[in-house]
Formats: sequence, structure tokens, C-alpha cells
Amino acid sequence: MIEVTNVTKTFGSGADAFTALKEVSVTIRQNEFFTLLGPSGCGKTTLLRTIAGFIDPTSGSLSLEGRDILGDPPYLRPVNTVFQNYALFPHMTVAQNVGFGLEMLDKPRSEVQATVREMLELVKMTQLADRQTSEISGGQQQRVALARALAPKPKVLLLDEPLSALDFKLRKEMQIELKRLQSETGITFVFVTHDQEEALTMSDRIAVMNEGRILQIGGPRDIYDHPAERFVADFIGDTNFVEGTIRAIDGEAAEVELPSGKTVASRRQEGGPQAGAVTIAVRPEHATLQAGEGLLSGTLSNIVYFGTDTHYHITLDDGHAFVIRRQNQPDARESYAVGDAVGVSFAPGVAQVLRD
Amino acid sequence: MAKSRGFDIRHQRGFTPIALLCFVLLYMPIIILVVYSFNAGQSIAIWEGFSLRWYQAAWENEQVQDATIRSLVVAGAASFIATSAAVLAALATTRTPPYRGSTFVFAMINQPLMVPEIVTAVALLIFFAMIKVATGYTGLWYLILAHSAFCIPFAYMPIRARLQGMDLSLEQAGADLYGTPWRVFRKITLPQLWPGVLAGAMLAFVISLDDVVITEFVKSAGQDTLPTYMLGQLRRVITPEVNAISTVLLAISVILVMAFFVLSRSKK
Repeated sequence: MIEVTNVTKTFGSGADAFTALKEVSVTIRQNEFFTLLGPSGCGKTTLLRTIAGFIDPTSGSLSLEGRDILGDPPYLRPVNTVFQNYALFPHMTVAQNVGFGLEMLDKPRSEVQATVREMLELVKMTQLADRQTSEISGGQQQRVALARALAPKPKVLLLDEPLSALDFKLRKEMQIELKRLQSETGITFVFVTHDQEEALTMSDRIAVMNEGRILQIGGPRDIYDHPAERFVADFIGDTNFVEGTIRAIDGEAAEVELPSGKTVASRRQEGGPQAGAVTIAVRPEHATLQAGEGLLSGTLSNIVYFGTDTHYHITLDDGHAFVIRRQNQPDARESYAVGDAVGVSFAPGVAQVLRD
Repeated sequence: MAKSRGFDIRHQRGFTPIALLCFVLLYMPIIILVVYSFNAGQSIAIWEGFSLRWYQAAWENEQVQDATIRSLVVAGAASFIATSAAVLAALATTRTPPYRGSTFVFAMINQPLMVPEIVTAVALLIFFAMIKVATGYTGLWYLILAHSAFCIPFAYMPIRARLQGMDLSLEQAGADLYGTPWRVFRKITLPQLWPGVLAGAMLAFVISLDDVVITEFVKSAGQDTLPTYMLGQLRRVITPEVNAISTVLLAISVILVMAFFVLSRSKK
């Protein structure tokens, strides 16, 4: 649906030049909740604003439903944005804000009013239709911004960190709300965030970005369970990194020799490393702890109780740290003590060979 | 600046007397002028009792009436033209991507502030004389255009300040919601720019109302504005009538300048 091909954006020139996007290519599908996830400065907002039409890329192409839209100014693109600061028009009421897009499209008055009513109902703001935007709370402003952007029924809704200004509880509510709106309207959502949890809970697919590049695109489960790069594994959730050596590969499967000398069946990405020294990633909750020998051996250095789970900090024999997370059972007694010699194991296929 | 025990000019010895002296020197002459506008006698220096006779005299003086109307017409037209031009100039200097020579453009817009007024006056005198010879037109438009020109930077400054303080994302949101540049300007930029526009227009109005030098050079015969009329009067007999006119002008200026400050502060 949206086809971004080899888009590069360089700001400034000469010594001050900064390249915000480097040869970015991505295809966003009809009807999906697509998230651009990355730390600040990774280029996610630049990409979003390029799609909206506020930024002209230095090179590359952009098409919507097969039509090249790079030459179109923002007001000709059937794409609407929910801005980070909402950007509600302060001199208009809530209803006037919501109706603005339709008025600019010269829709008849009756249609504008009907759609405004429908949209306000959708975001549960009917009561406050005639308020000034300065008289409503942050969460309500957020809803108005959403209604305003949805009212012209755009092909794509772009959301630029729309939840970052809300407090924790409201943010949780709006996450569910956004997901509901997306499925009720059937509009493609492109969502920008630096919050990995937000990305995991809401998205159909996630593109993880860093330093102007897209590192990996996949479903939340795919990204979490099968990170392709060290940055992705590190940025999303907690991860243990273990150095190893590839002994054999077969498609997505790889035999990796661990520092302990034992080998373990791991998973590698297409186009990933084929041989030699590699880093593998293991999620703390994907590994198991045992007394005595495991795939890796070490000494228990700390036990931290978190209520829902317990974190076991292990110093491996080669000096590296390893953390295992285990869900707590009711009335279970702690069976390990700091200083115990323990083994760390994980099932075949759990460890991910990373592209460094 | 350091907040607590840093440098505070108020603790400097002699600060208060110097400040008071400055204010007295600034306002004493004006206060005297205002006081003597109510003088019952003929003199502008000897107090002979309270009276409004000079206000009445000025009010009934046909030359004053004539000059006042001309002043208001010129100031009104000039501030309208200057403000319109200033809005365009402010948009061009705040709503465009940075370009080479933008500082030069900025300097050119503010040029009337830097060129000595007498130079502008002489230049306009010569220039308009050429046009007068060529066209034969001797109407009020020379004055209006001349005033418009030197009022532009005064109208420009508050408008530009307001534009710079405005949230750019509002205009982007307007464009994102299918507003063409012109409609975004009308529906979003202008309604919010309005206090700045009014402030600029008022400042331009006051500056125009007050001008002597350029008016004196540019005006044709019989085109006295209030300030040039007063200047002409001073060359003959000085009566408190001049004080009365000045006091009214002062009142108008003070009201407009106060309105200007209120408007430019309301931008949060």
C-alpha cells in the first residue's frame, strides 16, 4: 500500500550535513497497524514526516496505492497526521477542529456535521463538542486530535508519538483505544514510538530503526523472539549475549559452540553470519537454571525477587554475566542461594545468532 | 543571570536617585506642557488659572480641523498599507526555509530605521518632484506613500515576533488536513496573527501621526498635517493652543501604545 523505496534524507550540507534516513525501504500493507520503533534521532519521525509530505527526501521514491506521491504537497495526500503535541487549532472549538479537514475538502455542510458527530462519538467526546480546545484535558485533546485526523477518512493515519505526553494510566487506556479505532475504521495506521512495550502491544508489524536505517521488520513476537541484530535484541526487552563460534549451518539452523565447549542448536536469520565467531542472544525467561552443570556453568551472584518473577544473576565461568528470569509459584521456597555453582541451559532453537 | 546573590543593579549606590532623575528629566517637560494647556492666560510660561479655552480654540480652529483630518487620513491609509506589506514581509522572512541572503532581506526591510530621516526626506522630495512634473498629480498620495514606506519596519517588528512565536505545527496540521496554503493562511495563521497585526498597525499609526521631517519635505502647499501645522504656528505666536493640541496627540499616542503592549503581551 505504502511503498517506500531507497529513501535517503540529508539535512544541511558540507560539514554540518546530517543523514537522517539512509536508503530506507519498507512496504506498509493495507489495514495494518505498523509501528516505527527506535530511539530518538533514529529517523522514525523523519520517515513519518516524509510520508506526510512535510519533508522532501534527498533521494528515493514513495508511492501510495501504486501512485507516486512524492511530488504532491501535504494537502493533496490522502494521509492525515496525529501530531505529537496534537496541534489543535486554539481559536476553534472541538467540533470545528474535527470538521476542519472536511471543510477544506469542500464537503457539504450536512455531511461535515454528520461526520463530526460520528467522529466525536467514536472517540467519546460528544459532550464536549462546543468546548474550546484549551478547556479540555490532555487525554481529551488527544482524542480530539485523533477524531480530527480520522474525520476525512484518510487512506493512512500517521501517528507521531501521540501517547508520549500522557501519564501512565491514560497511556494504557489510549493504547487499547487506538487499537479499537484502527480495527473499527479499517484505516492503515503508521505509528511512531520509542516505547518498545507500546510497539509490542499494539502493532501488527514493527520496523526497528537505528541511525537512519531499518534494522528489522516483523511481527511483535518475531521481533522479540528472533532479533536479527544486537541492537534489536538489546533495544527490545532484556537479553543475554553469549559469544560463540558457528560450527555448522543448515538454512535457519546453526550449530554454535559455546565458551563452555558444548554446542547448541541456534536459529539464524537469512543473510546472517555463516561461520566464525558470533554473538548469540538468549532472553532471560527463555533460559533455565539448574544445580550443577548446564550448557553454560557459573556461580550465582545475586537473587532479586520481583513478585511476579525472580531474577537470578549468574557470573559465568568466563566472567560474563547472565540473567535468568523465572516466574514465581505460590508458596514456593527459594531453592538456590548466592554462591551456588549452577548451570544455565536453553532449549534448541531458542538462542538467536545475531548479525553484528 | 544569577538568581539569589548575584549582580543586582539596585544595590548599586546612587541607583535610585539616578533613576528618579532620569524619569524627572524625561517627563517634567511633558508634564509642564500638559499643565499649561489648561492655562487661562495667553502665555505658555505664566500660570493665570485653569481654563479649557485653548482646547475650545483648537477645536474651533478650521486650520487645526483641516490638519487633524489630513493627519488621520494619512496615518490611517499609511498604516493600512504598511501593515499589509509588513505581513507579507514577515511571512516571507519566517515561513520560508532558510535561504542565502535572508539577513540581507531582513536588513532591507528595516532599512528605513537606519537611514537618517532627513536623507529619506530629501530623496523623496526629489523623487516626487520628478513624478509631479511628469504627471501633474499633486494630491495626498505622495504623503501617504512616503509615510507607508517609513512605517513598514515598525509594523513589521511586532508581526514578525508574533509569527516566530507561533507553533509551526498548527500550519502543518492545516496543510495535512487538505488546506491549501492560502486557506491555511486565512483560517489558521491570520486568526492567530491578528493581535500582532493590530499591534503593528497601531505602532505604524502613531509613528505616522507624529512625523514632521518627511512630511515637511514631501507635502505640497496646503497639505499641513497636525505636526507640521504646529511647527508653522511656533514660528509666529506661541499660545497654549499648541499645548492643547500636543496634549490630545499625547493622549492618543499613550492609548495606542498601551493597547500595543497589551496586545503583544497576550501571546502567552
